[in-house]
Amino acid sequence: MSQQGLGEILAKWRENWKTWRIIFFAVLAAMVVLNVFFHSHHGHFWHLDETPGFFAVFGLVVGLAMVIIMKKIVQPFIKRGEDYYGD
Amino acid sequence: METSCFIHPSIAFLTLAVLVPLVPQEVWKVKAFRGALALVAPLVALYGIFTAVPGTYGALHYLDQALVFGRVDKLSIVFGQVFAIIATIGAIYGMHVEEKGHYVCASLYVAGGFGCVFAGDLLTVFLFWELMSIGSTFLIWQARTKESVGAGFRYFLYHTVGGLFLLGGLLLKYKATGSFAFVGVDPTQAQYYDWLILTGFCVNAAVVPLHAWLPDAYPRASVAGAVYMCAFTTKTAVYVLARGFAGWEILAVAGTIMAVFGVLYACIENNARRILSYHIVSQVGYMVAGIGIGTAMTLNGAVAHAYAHILYKGLLFMGTGAILYSVGTAKLDKLGGLATKLPWVMVWYMVAALSISGMPLFNGFISKTMTIAGAAEAHRTILALGMEIAAVGTFISVGIKLPYFAFWGGKSEYKGEVKPLPMNMYIGMALCGMLCIAQGVYPHMLYQFLPFHAEEAFHPWTIDKVLNSGLLLGFSGLAFYLTREVIKPHAFLNLDFDWFYRLIGSVTMRAVCWPISKVDDVWTEVYRTGGLRALIAMGDGTSVFDKKGIDTVVDGSAYTVRYLGRVGAKAQTAQLQDYLAFAAVLGLGIYALVWYFG
Repeated sequence: MSQQGLGEILAKWRENWKTWRIIFFAVLAAMVVLNVFFHSHHGHFWHLDETPGFFAVFGLVVGLAMVIIMKKIVQPFIKRGEDYYGD
Repeated sequence: METSCFIHPSIAFLTLAVLVPLVPQEVWKVKAFRGALALVAPLVALYGIFTAVPGTYGALHYLDQALVFGRVDKLSIVFGQVFAIIATIGAIYGMHVEEKGHYVCASLYVAGGFGCVFAGDLLTVFLFWELMSIGSTFLIWQARTKESVGAGFRYFLYHTVGGLFLLGGLLLKYKATGSFAFVGVDPTQAQYYDWLILTGFCVNAAVVPLHAWLPDAYPRASVAGAVYMCAFTTKTAVYVLARGFAGWEILAVAGTIMAVFGVLYACIENNARRILSYHIVSQVGYMVAGIGIGTAMTLNGAVAHAYAHILYKGLLFMGTGAILYSVGTAKLDKLGGLATKLPWVMVWYMVAALSISGMPLFNGFISKTMTIAGAAEAHRTILALGMEIAAVGTFISVGIKLPYFAFWGGKSEYKGEVKPLPMNMYIGMALCGMLCIAQGVYPHMLYQFLPFHAEEAFHPWTIDKVLNSGLLLGFSGLAFYLTREVIKPHAFLNLDFDWFYRLIGSVTMRAVCWPISKVDDVWTEVYRTGGLRALIAMGDGTSVFDKKGIDTVVDGSAYTVRYLGRVGAKAQTAQLQDYLAFAAVLGLGIYALVWYFG
């Protein structure tokens, strides 16, 4: 496909971002529902991951914690000007 | 010993490195010729690897030692194979580059990587290890920017120190055991020299805290050079660790720390190529941890992950390199909204980003899950948990943050000029991307080459594993959505361990410079008071002598001296890079003489 053709499709997708957001939430919900019926039987993490939705909670909590801790707490201590070292 | 024939890939690349400078400039300008020539070496390497029969080839006697250049077994073949593939793709992606230096440096570097992989003894490993270090240093300088000069020197210093650890270790080992054999070391029998060798390997594997060279140098390498950089140095180190140090507990812990450390730094980084560099530290962490745990499954996982990683990380650097080539910067705060302007770059970048994140259908899924499951089945729950945390961070940084702020929105858009990319860059990206997808869909394509025999075959494509990965990534995505304002990149430098290394550097410089400057001060004073007067008096004397008729005699020799001076001045460019190149050539010459007469 040509650069321009693909570019126009992507531009259209970007305009419809609200639809994409709905699709995203729907897929998340569908996966959680499916997880109730299909889940691991030999859990790796103290059998906790045999519970449906374990990886959903894990991903969300770890993701939130990582971003907030690194951006809000750690970065203020270690950030410097871009040419701090002069190179 | 030498049964059938094995075409050593290094020979092809070394030949290319010698040939390139001899090609006349007008022929070289023809892109088709240049590209075809650059492709010959990797294609010969591919042919050599796919026709190789396991065995030992190419033993050479040097300094009373038997050097083995061709140890061909399952472990070296699988690494050789992926090296040959990425060298082919890198040659296609970089064939628009006109500087001959790029081809020479890349070929030397790649030859070094292959040499280490097929080396049968530690001395041969060391020789190629240093070739790799020199080749890659010059490859960084190919970027020809001011910041790449400094970064190249720091890179070279780190690797020289690492190489000295390796050299010290292998010499002491030779003294103690009488052999340079490069075989697995039992961790319970470890001697101090094994630790020295391990340290040398760990510098190249970017084990935290020895990793600082990587996020320093890689973002500053040239667009086409970075594709080679991200494949060879760290993965050669992974190979030698798998060969020599499987089952070392310290590597299991260090690897998991690397996996988490890399994603934490990538989370707050602004430069796209530096984000990817921190993710090399993180992804190599999975491999190092797999090697440290040391079961057949985790070792296979480490090898599979190295294979997959070389492909998708090469593609990630090709994608961000394409942005850098096209708009002139890779800093996220300056980019934005490029999806409509560079749509195919976005597509291939996303293939690589989903691969590194371990999304089903892409090759990271079949290699990362194997390493994590292997760790869990070896009852290393905490380590496996660390790797899952790293997986979340990987998707947030490389899978969403980088493409979101570069290609989509969330902040101001890039308004400047977008230079069109040469076709060969697209072909390179497409080839690499298709391989990433093919391996993800059809894991056997990769698994059939794994070297270690596991009791039970690993099957990634089960419904619970796919769902687990989907949930983990999907809800990490939700976490990004909720924190998208917090994570917005800002133009800052984040302090890392190189702060300490730079401190050591500047303190050493001062310790050396201070006494010299003091001596210089005193000498200047002495000269000013005593020497200058004597000189003036002498000058008066000689001018009289000169006028009396010396002029005619001296003029001739003055011309000669002036000529010699000019040659000398030309050779002394005051560019340390040139001196390093002279030293390397001189060193090679001395080696050759020793070999010839020894």
